[in-house]
Formats: sequence, structure tokens, C-alpha cells
Amino acid sequence: MGRMTVAELERIKTEHAERMAFTDKTYLLLCGGTGCHATGSLKVKDALLDALEQAELGATVDVIETGCNGFCAMGPILVVHPGDIFYQKLKVKDMAEVVQSHLVEGKPVERLLYKDPAAKKRIPVQSDIPFFAHQMPRALRNKGIIDPEQIDDYIARDGYRGAARALLELGPDDIIEEMKISGMRGRGGAGFPTGMKWAFAKASPSDLKYVLCNADEGDPGAFMDRSILEADPHAVLEGMVIAAKAIDAHKGYIYARTEYPLAIKRLDLAIRQATEYGLLGEDIFGSGFGFEIEIYQGAGAFVCGEETALMRSIEGRRGMPRPRPPFPAHKGLWEKPTILNNVETFANVPQIVRKGGAWYASVGTDTSKGTKVFAISGDVNNIGLVEVPMGTSLRSIIYDIGGGIPKKRKFKAVQLGGPSGGCVPEAHLDTPVDFEAIAKVGAIMGSGGVIVMDENTCMVDMARFFMDFIQEESCGKCTPCREGTRRQLQILEKICNGDGEPGDIDTLEALSDTIRETALCGLGQTGPNPVLSTLRYFRDEFEAHIHEKRCPAKRCVSLLSFEVDTEKCTKCGACYRACPVDAVEWKKKELARIDLEKCIQCMTCFDKCRFDAIY
Amino acid sequence: MPTLTIDNRPVTVPDGTKVITAAEQLGIMIPRFCYHPALGSVGACRVCAVGFKEGPIKGVEMSCMVDAQEGMVVATDDPDAVDLRKHVIELLMLHHPHDCPVCDEGGHCLLQDMTISGGHGRRRYAGAKRTHLDQDLGPLVQHEMNRCIQCYRCSRFYQQFCGYRDLGVTGIGTRVYFGRSEPGTLESPFSGNLTDICPTGVYTDKPSRFYGRRWDYERAPSVCIHCSLGCSLTVSARYRKAVRHEARFNAQVNGHFICDRGRYAYAYASQPERPRDALIAGRPATLAQAATQMSERLAAIEKGTGPDGIALMGSARSSLETQALLARLHSEKGWRTPCFSADDAATRVVSSALNTLNATNTIALTEIEGADTVLLVGADPIGEAPMLALALRQAQRDGSRIITVDPRPVTLPCAHDHIAVSGDDLATAVAHLIIGALEPSREIALDADQQDRFKTLKQETRDIPAAAELRAIGHALTTAWRPAFVCGTTVPDPDVPPLMGLLQALVQTSCMWSGLFFPLPGANTFGAHCLGGSDALFEPLLAAVEAGQVKALVVVENDLFSEYPDQQRLAAALESLELLVVMDCVPSAITARADIFLPTQTIYEAGGHYLNNEGRLQVATPVIAGGLSIMDTGGGNHPPREFREDIPGGTPRPAWQYVAGLATGETDPPDVKPLLDEALTAGVADGERVSLPSASREWPSIERIGAGPEGDAGGLTLIESAATFGSEPLAAFSTVLAELTPLFGVTVHSETAQRLGWRAGDRIVIPDSAPALEVVVTLDDRAAPGVLLVPRRIGIDRTALRRYMAHLLAE
Ligand SMILES: Cc1cc2nc3c(=O)[nH]c(=O)nc-3n(C[C@H](O)[C@H](O)[C@H](O)COP(=O)(O)O)c2cc1C
Ligand code: SF4
Ligand code: SF4
Ligand code: FES
Repeated sequence: MGRMTVAELERIKTEHAERMAFTDKTYLLLCGGTGCHATGSLKVKDALLDALEQAELGATVDVIETGCNGFCAMGPILVVHPGDIFYQKLKVKDMAEVVQSHLVEGKPVERLLYKDPAAKKRIPVQSDIPFFAHQMPRALRNKGIIDPEQIDDYIARDGYRGAARALLELGPDDIIEEMKISGMRGRGGAGFPTGMKWAFAKASPSDLKYVLCNADEGDPGAFMDRSILEADPHAVLEGMVIAAKAIDAHKGYIYARTEYPLAIKRLDLAIRQATEYGLLGEDIFGSGFGFEIEIYQGAGAFVCGEETALMRSIEGRRGMPRPRPPFPAHKGLWEKPTILNNVETFANVPQIVRKGGAWYASVGTDTSKGTKVFAISGDVNNIGLVEVPMGTSLRSIIYDIGGGIPKKRKFKAVQLGGPSGGCVPEAHLDTPVDFEAIAKVGAIMGSGGVIVMDENTCMVDMARFFMDFIQEESCGKCTPCREGTRRQLQILEKICNGDGEPGDIDTLEALSDTIRETALCGLGQTGPNPVLSTLRYFRDEFEAHIHEKRCPAKRCVSLLSFEVDTEKCTKCGACYRACPVDAVEWKKKELARIDLEKCIQCMTCFDKCRFDAIY
Repeated sequence: MPTLTIDNRPVTVPDGTKVITAAEQLGIMIPRFCYHPALGSVGACRVCAVGFKEGPIKGVEMSCMVDAQEGMVVATDDPDAVDLRKHVIELLMLHHPHDCPVCDEGGHCLLQDMTISGGHGRRRYAGAKRTHLDQDLGPLVQHEMNRCIQCYRCSRFYQQFCGYRDLGVTGIGTRVYFGRSEPGTLESPFSGNLTDICPTGVYTDKPSRFYGRRWDYERAPSVCIHCSLGCSLTVSARYRKAVRHEARFNAQVNGHFICDRGRYAYAYASQPERPRDALIAGRPATLAQAATQMSERLAAIEKGTGPDGIALMGSARSSLETQALLARLHSEKGWRTPCFSADDAATRVVSSALNTLNATNTIALTEIEGADTVLLVGADPIGEAPMLALALRQAQRDGSRIITVDPRPVTLPCAHDHIAVSGDDLATAVAHLIIGALEPSREIALDADQQDRFKTLKQETRDIPAAAELRAIGHALTTAWRPAFVCGTTVPDPDVPPLMGLLQALVQTSCMWSGLFFPLPGANTFGAHCLGGSDALFEPLLAAVEAGQVKALVVVENDLFSEYPDQQRLAAALESLELLVVMDCVPSAITARADIFLPTQTIYEAGGHYLNNEGRLQVATPVIAGGLSIMDTGGGNHPPREFREDIPGGTPRPAWQYVAGLATGETDPPDVKPLLDEALTAGVADGERVSLPSASREWPSIERIGAGPEGDAGGLTLIESAATFGSEPLAAFSTVLAELTPLFGVTVHSETAQRLGWRAGDRIVIPDSAPALEVVVTLDDRAAPGVLLVPRRIGIDRTALRRYMAHLLAE
């Protein structure tokens, strides 16, 4: 195909209008995200195609593999349009029934529909399910609708119209102004105003400039960026084209971790399709402006998500941060002015330019506009990917969307912002999603990882887990981060092992000070956060470990005696049935007893006992 | 030029100066590990924290990362900063093995100093320490990784600064490891600098391991005499033995570093084979006996033949003192003009090169780092002048283009364009560069005479394969801002340096700065040129010996056999002499033939002045008095169990003293400065450059650019060229360097190999060679076809090699 024009975009859109409205055929939208792949969606797809063939429905039914649907806990997922019927946890053997009953007979398969745990009834329509009902998809607006491997699908949903506007109608300053009006702040963690970042880079004179996309996503428990790339790769490419125009760059890189093979495959395909359509390359839309994008695969070091380390890594050097200033907007990749934005940031850009910054800013809080994508995981019913307007409360995310805590346990805290972030306890659950409000309670918005913890979580152990991650991922360049975080880990391990000593909390705090003050990059500077924020809200747990040699959440094995509290034991025998090595002695109507010789301290009985009788 | 206040004292520094450097100018040493002036700031160690009280930045920041700015008020004793420094140093010491008593760095260890000055005196951490496995890095550098404080100086130096990849950093977090991917000898000929830059004892000097603490050593500033660059050294000696060279900072010459040849060359001075006694006819004699006999026999010969019957032979490794007195001996006694090298081809190139240099076109080594284009013709830095390669790398890192034009496959530790041109074509190659620089688009105001000459040049210059490429480079040179021109003095013929001079003069008219840099064959070749008979050639001298005109030859610190190719002819000529006097500090093929032998002192005992390749006058201070090391006389026991009045092995005297004895008999070292003044008619101070009288500023000869190569076009040329190790006559005695010296081999272009029926890895036994010589064949298509490249190597049967070459050519 030759040069792309707005008319041609319009033609493609019209051509696919019925497909997008689901009016010409029945569409089976099968989730093809990494989560559903893992639970077997590829085999389900084969079975579905077989069943369709047998039913001879090939002409009126289309199967489309979409990007991540978001409700990962329910995978493999299939959504049938028209009707928006949501099927969950599909198995190969279910597919013939779905085809026969739903497609041939017109009766949705009741047992495969979503069942609301609260109302205890099936909800057939996707948009009625609470998990989806409270969301506002913007960055994820195409997820589960388009086939990410078809550029026409993206164009049919107004794709590349933002780029067309930016290249044909707007000047660099207009684009930057639009970004400033939108109030967009970087979604990679720090929340730096995007328009301002671009303005700096635009103002740096240079023969060469670069636009980089950060798809390194290293926080444990985070998969927002991966899902966007898998579901809607063109949105990111289009965002980058617009950014390139704003700062006058002609070359871009997407730094993606090698552990994201599906995202990389789809990105690669998207780049090839866009290039073929003339949406990347020279003279895009006949505007005279050219831009090309290359994927650079990172080897998975967490620190390579840090901007200066990321740039060194693309240069082929060891991914180690360097101090700023100079900032990348002045000296970035190969010492040339560079902007680096997060995947989600770029995914929002096309709509901002197409619909205007004011439209984007119409939702949100004073200082945080638009929507934010979160990946909810941990002790919560609905694990998955959600997008909510800024200002939504944490409580709403966890309870309305996340469906609350499973097994009737109590909520304890939620960890925001991954290892660099902090935990928020029950008392602050009404904090709205807003950069400043979250910082005030001692956490950070971060890139969007939300890890929910129930009452069975030991906060000292939790701090130890994140500290282990931090010290493991420290690049080893600067002393405080390399040595200090390891020292903190050692102290936390000591406390968890029951060897805590009275001065330990002071030492942890003193080390935190040194590390925060002197570490070179964000990794080290925020490294002590898990320790500081758990100390802030759960100091008593630390003290119990150190002074009473007791783990209140009963997680730290060294502090448990694996005995049954005869007062609390109801003689139910749950522990007896659960023990994998038959270490529990129990007879009907008798107290349970644990044979410590046989016990392997796996803690299965602790989880099973509903009366807190094992200590 | 911002002015800032540090610890209540104002200081004004150039723009871009870091606060840590600004403080140094006030004599305030802010703690640091990762920062090094040559390697720059990386902000890794975090111990240089200081408080910024007023001005554009406030709070605690790393002083190595912040540019000094107007109005800054800095407190290095800010309590917060002091506290953080203390904690960071404590963190650095967590895993330190505390093995200072057996660590060779102890006593000059930055970590020891900073630990105390940083206020961390008490260990609080009682847990397990992280440990690493050490590696065998070869004979020069000892590795003890547990002492590492992760300042990254070594990896930055080795990879970024030097351009070698076999040592670096692996791992992340507390597992970072500095070393090689597997144990093995370091590949960089600059590896010894690791021992200087590592702030702890991870890399220590292996040959001098466990020999002493820094305060035990007698230390003195000295000059490296193992190539013509004359890098600055500090020599450490103990028990009457020089045991270590360290780089000494010199802003003009070597900066902070030196090469491994210079660093590990000292062993010759204390080798057991060092001749320490006078000999008459090979039998020990007292110094007085030998000296008297020398004077008497020379006087007798002089009486018979006249002063012409006595010839003097000096060398490029002698100090200016010795060279000057040899020259004076000639002027006072009328003996033949001293000759300073038996390699006439080189002497001719050297004098034409030095006649091209003048006060305005000579540049210093570190100035090359600032060049934006460097053109090297007939120069192979890594072998001839290793530190030049390091300077080129710095230029290249800064964006400079490096171009080598050479028959040899020149390798450099940085990207460069190489143009293979046969040795005979080098002058023609430079002529093409000149023609390129004079392309019509260039406006150079030439007078009529010059225009004529260039016209002739253009007509005369014959075509060579690389002509077009060379002309394009010549043209590009005219757009350079800071071009430097380097020309070797062993491979090119004498026409090349003046042509380079012409090229430089032309380009000079259109650029900001430019200059000439000529590496020379020996440490004091420049001195020999200034003080001696710069035109005295060896071939006529040898002929005079053979003809019986010269009856006595006095050879001072020169092993003629390693310089003169025809060993048999030389041996026969020496045999025919009535008297051969040899003075030297090392044993050689010629010392054994001496009728009278006088042992000389080394630079460590005698000191002396030297002129480096750009004519910079430099001083070496004596470090030790001389004599056999106590370690040797006592068999390791101290004190030695032999009691006598003199120092055992203390007989040697400075060579100049013997020479002086032949004339005036003075016993104090001569003051070389008046002597230089006399020779050069201009005063000079230590560390400064002498200016040569602009002898010939004439239009260079263009004979060879027109004439075709000698012999048939498909001929073979043997090039013996200096290698990093094994070629320099003194360093060749170092046993640790001998381990690094590769097998003797010949490098050829694959076409040439095909013609000769050679394959890579073939071993060719040179017939009738003594000692038996075997040559390994290496193919390299960056060599000019027809060139057979062998390293210059002491003790190789060069006659047999040449004979074999002639035989190949005849076939
Ligand atoms: C240790 C560390 C890891 C980071 N990892 C990521 C990451 O995986 N993805 C990301 O987008 N930003 C990451 N960042 C933030 C980036 O440095 C940078 O601020 C961001 O990509 C800028 O994009 P934005 O303005 O769109 O947020 C990380 C920062 C640090 C200090
Ligand atoms: S803070 Fe940690 S990750 Fe960042 S530079 Fe220092 S060592 Fe590396
Ligand atoms: S080995 Fe020495 S120079 Fe290298 S990082 Fe460690 S302390 Fe620094
Ligand atoms: S010297 Fe400044 S951080 Fe190391």
C-alpha cells in the first residue's frame, strides 16, 4: 500500500463499521492475553474452531483472538457478540456445548457464565459484571474488542486519527499544549507531567533526538503494560509518532523485556503493518515527517526500567543508572535529547490529541487527571487488570471491582507501587487514587501494581520479601543501595528468624536514612520504602517479633511452635485431613495434636484451621 | 570562571570544574573512591558528599557530580554530610576482609585513609561477609577480589579508557565482580595501571609482592627510558634494588598512566648476570687498573694512528650527561665524531625528522588527546611508543578520526582507518595526501614559487593503489580543526618526515591548531641528535675499522649486535681492532668481546637527563647508591654475613665518569644545561622543550615519490619493527615481561603467503641459525602485500633471517 491518507483511514473505518458494531456476524472474542494463554486458551480456541466447523457455522461466525480481557482470574475467557455474553474458565470439553447451545440453539450455557459471589447469581452480560461495571476504559478502550494483530481493526476504532491530526493540523507547540491541558502525568511511576517533559526535549537543539517507550515493567505483580501491548499495540506506536512530531525526533525505540514474548511478537507485527501502511517510515500522511521504531529487548534487570540505565542498555552497555542532571531531555540516548515515556502514557496520547486535552482532563482530581490502569493481585477475589478514573477510592478498587477478600478473611493492607512503594492500611482505604493523596499516606501511585494482603500476612515478612527483591535487583553501582539494602535484608531476616535484637529497628531506620539520602537512582532512593511504610503502620508487629519472639500473623516459621491451643481447638479435624505427611494426630471428638518429629512445617494446617488454634 | 566558597575560602575555577576538584585547588581533599581525574565522575561510591549551604544548589550532594557555580557556598564539614560519609564508608567496609597486614596496598591505600578520615573506626557488623574467588591475571597483576569496594575504576579504566575488553564487571547487586570471564593473563599492555588506580588492594603489583610497605621504600622521581616518549615515573627501591615503577602524573607527557613495558622494565638493574666488575681481557680487574690501562692503550694508539684511529660509539639509552661528554671528547681530543646508533637507516630518518621539527610545530603527547584528526604514517604506536596508543584512544573517544598509513597491519585499541601502503610507497602516499589537501576547492594562498613546486609534485607523484583514498583523506584534513600528524622514524624513509612537515604546514593555514609528533627509536635519540654527531653514520665507521684506519673503538652502553644486522661482518670487524673498550650495565654480545670492560651504573644509581621525542628535557633522580642487593648478598638473611669496607657489587660508576676520565678527569656530573645551550643556542629548563635550530626549512626532496620501488614490483621486504615486549634492549631482560612476549613470528598478507606457499600457523625453521630460529606464520590482510613483518627481538640470529629472506627473493 502506498501513502496513507485521512480518506483512506475513513474508508477502512467504514468498511469495518459493522464488524466493530458486531452487526454483520456473530463474533466470538476469545481472550488471547498471556494469562489466558497460560490457562489454556489456545487449546480452547482449537476446540472452538473444530466445533464451529462441525456445526458448519464458519460463514456467520468469526472467532477473534483479542488482547487481554483484564479479568485474568477467570480465564480462559470468551465474549460473544452481539449480546456481550461473558464465558469464563472454559475448558476444551465445553466448547462443543457452547457452539451447540448458544450459537445454534440461541441459549447461553448457564453453568459457564460468571457467578457473582455476593449476589450468588449468574450474570450473563459482561458490562453488568461488577468487575467491569466500575471501570472506565481509555488506555484499554480497545481491549477485548479488536484483534491486536489486525491494523484495520485499530483503524476502524479511530486509530491513527490522532497522529493524522498531529502531523497534518498541529504544530509541535500545539501538541505539547494539548498534552499540558490534558494534565497527563507519566504512568511509569513518578508522575512527571508529560507535556512538560516533551517541551524540554523540544527546546533542546540537536541534529538527532529520540523517542523511547519504556516497556520494561519490572515491578513484581505488575502487568499493565504487557496487557496494553498485547491488546492494542498500535495505540502505543501512534502515541510515539505524535511525541516524535512534538519534539522533532525521527527514531524511536521500544525497550521491552524479553520475558514478554507475546507483546514483542504483536509489537513487531504492528510495526511491520504500520510501516506497510505508511504510518511509520518516511513522509507519514504526506506531511514530510518521518519516524521509525525499533524494538530493543531488555534482559530483565529491574533497574533497566530506570531511564538512564535503560538508555545505557539500548546503547549496548551495562544497564547502570547515571546521576541526573543532565536530564535525558538534554542528554539522553547517545547523549542526544530523548524522551522516555511509559507504555500506558503513550497509549493515552492518541485520544488526547484526537479528542482534545480538555476531554481527557474531564475526569480525575485536581492534580491527577484521566484514568489509571491497575493490576490487582494478591488476596483478592477478582485478580485482573482494571482501569478507573483518577479519584476512585482504593476501597472501591478492592471491594467493588476486586470483589473483596476471599475466604472471609479480613483485609490488612494494600501494597501500592511495587517494591518502591508502600503499604496502605485499612484506616486509609478511602484515599482516592491521586498522586499526591497516595504519597501523603506513605505509598506511591507507582506504575499500577496493587497487591492486596489479608490478615494472614506478616508485615515484617512482607518487608523482607520486597527488600530481598530490591537488594537482588540493585545494579551494584552505588554503595548505599548495594550494601545498605542487603544489610537491611539481613536484619529483616534476622527478625523473621526470631533473632531480632532491641536495636534492630533503630538500625533499620538509620540505614534507611543513609540509603534514601545518598543512593544514586530511584531504585535505591525508594529502596527503604517497604521498611519505612511497614514500620509506620505496623511497628507493633516488628516489636512483637523482636521482643516477644512472636509473629502475630503466624507466618514466620521460626517463631511458631506448631502446637495446638487446647482452649481454641474445636476438635473439627480440618488440620488432620489437610496435613500432607500425617503429622496430625486426631480422632473424632478429640483434640488435635501435632507430632513434631513428623511435621515438616509446611503450615497447611494453619491455613485450614478456622479457629486460629494452631500456634 | 565561577567563584565559589569552600570551607570559608573563595576559589575561582574554570567552567565545568567539579566541586571536588575545586576543593583540591584549596588543598582540601574531599573523600572519594570512584572519582578519578582521568576517568571522570560516575557517582558510584557516594563518599564525596558535602553540604551546599548557599547558591543554586542546597542540601547534601555528591561533590564529584556537581559543577562549581558562581556563588556556591560549600561546607565539607557539614554535619549531615559528615554523618552520611561515615555511614557510607561503614557500608563499604562491611565485607572488607580486614587483611591489611598482608595486603600490599597497606600504607598507600585510599581505603585505609578514607576509613579513618571518614570517621568509621569501629566495626558494628558481626555477620557473614560476602566473598569472591580470585583469578590468576598473569605475571604482572595480583588479584584479591574480597578487598573490592566497587568503585568501578578498574573496569572504566580498562574498557573505556584503554579499549580492552577482557577485564570488566559482571553481576549485579552485591554480586558485582571485577575480573575476567575466566582466569588468564591480561591482554592490555596497560594493565599495570590497575595497581595504581584501584583504591584498595584488589590489584597489586605482582612482581614486588610482599617486598615492603611504601614507607620502607626509597622513592624518587624518574623518567622511563624504555621508549622515546619519556613518561614520568616514581621508582621504588629497597635493599639496594629497584622493585617497582609507578606512573607519576605529567600533564604534558603521560598524564596519569604508563605502559607495562615501562612499568616492569627495571629487572635488568638487579639481574644476577649484571656485570659489576671491571674486566681486562675477560679477567676481573680493579676499576683503577682497567681505567689506567684504557687511557694508556688509547694514548698509545693515538700516538701511532693519530686521533682518527680512535672511534666513539654511544647510544640512545645513555643519559645526556654521557652523550654530551662523548661529544666533548671528540671536540677536545679530535677522536672521531661519536656515532650513537648502528642502525643508519633509522639515523637518517631521525635526522630528517628532527630537522623538520621546530618550536611552533612540535606537539606534546597529551595534546594529541585533543586532536580531532590524527594521521599516522609509518608509525605503530603499540610497539614503538605504547602510551601514544592510549592518547589516540582518548582522541578517538572524543570523536577524533584516526588514520594509519603503514605497510604493517597496525592495530590500535580504538577504531581507526587503516591504509596499507608498502614501505617504499610511504613518501608517495604522503605526496598524495598533500595533493588531496590542495584540491581546487581549497583556498591556500601560494606564492608563484610554491605553485610551481606543487605543480611539479603533482606531475612527479606516481600512482599507487591507495592514491584516490589518500587524496580524499588529504582533502578531509583541510576541514579538520585540530589535526595532528604522527610519523614513525624506523619504517619510513627519510623523505617522509619532511613531507609530513609540509602537509602539516599546509593544513596549518586552515585550522585552529595542528602539529607534528615523531616517535623516535630510543629514549634519548633526541639527545644524541642534539649533542652528538647527528649525521655520524655507522657504516663508514665500520668500513674504517675494516680498512684498519680505526684501531680502537670505545662503545658506551650499546649492544651493537642488536642494532647492526650483519652479525658476522660486525664480529669480524671488531676482531680486527687493536682495542675494544666496552662500558655497559647489562651483559650483551659485545661485552664478552671487550678487551677492557667497565661496568656502568643504571639510571637508578646515576640518574641523569634525557630529551624525549619532542625534545622535552627531563630529569631522573638517583634512587639508590648502587651495589648488590642485600637480599642477594645475604642470601635472604639480613644483615649479610660478609663484612667489608666497600659495598659488594658497588664498583660501577656512571658512564659519563669514565668518559670524563679520558679527557679532563672530572668526578662530578657535568651540568648538561650549558652544554645543551651551547649546542642549541637557547636556554632550557627541566620539564621544558628544547628548540632545535631550524636547520633545514627547505622544500623536501621529492625523489622517491616519483621513482618506483627498488627491485621488482613483486618483491618482498622484511620489516623488523619494535614490539611492545621483547624489542627494547633493557626491558628485554625482565623475566616477567618475557612471559608476555609472544612466540617469534612473521606476519604476512594472505596473497604473499600464497606466493610463498605458507599457511597460517606454519613453523618455518630458519636454516643455519644460531641460536636455532623458528618462525610462526600469521596471516593478516591489513598488511601491505609483499611485506614480511617480524618483531625486533634481542638475541635473534638476524643474519640467518636475512639470508633466508634473500633466498626467498631469489626463488
Ligand atoms: C528502578 C526503577 C525502575 C523503573 N522501572 C520502570 C518500568 O519498568 N516501566 C516504566 O515505565 N517506568 C519505570 N521506571 C520509571 C522510569 O525511570 C521513567 O520515569 C518512566 O519510564 C518515564 O515515563 P513516564 O513519564 O511516562 O512515566 C523505573 C524507575 C526506576 C527508578
Ligand atoms: S541506587 Fe541501586 S540501582 Fe540505583 S545506581 Fe545505586 S546501586 Fe544501582
Ligand atoms: S577492583 Fe579496585 S578499582 Fe575495581 S571496583 Fe574494586 S576497588 Fe574499584
Ligand atoms: S567520588 Fe563522588 S560518588 Fe564516588
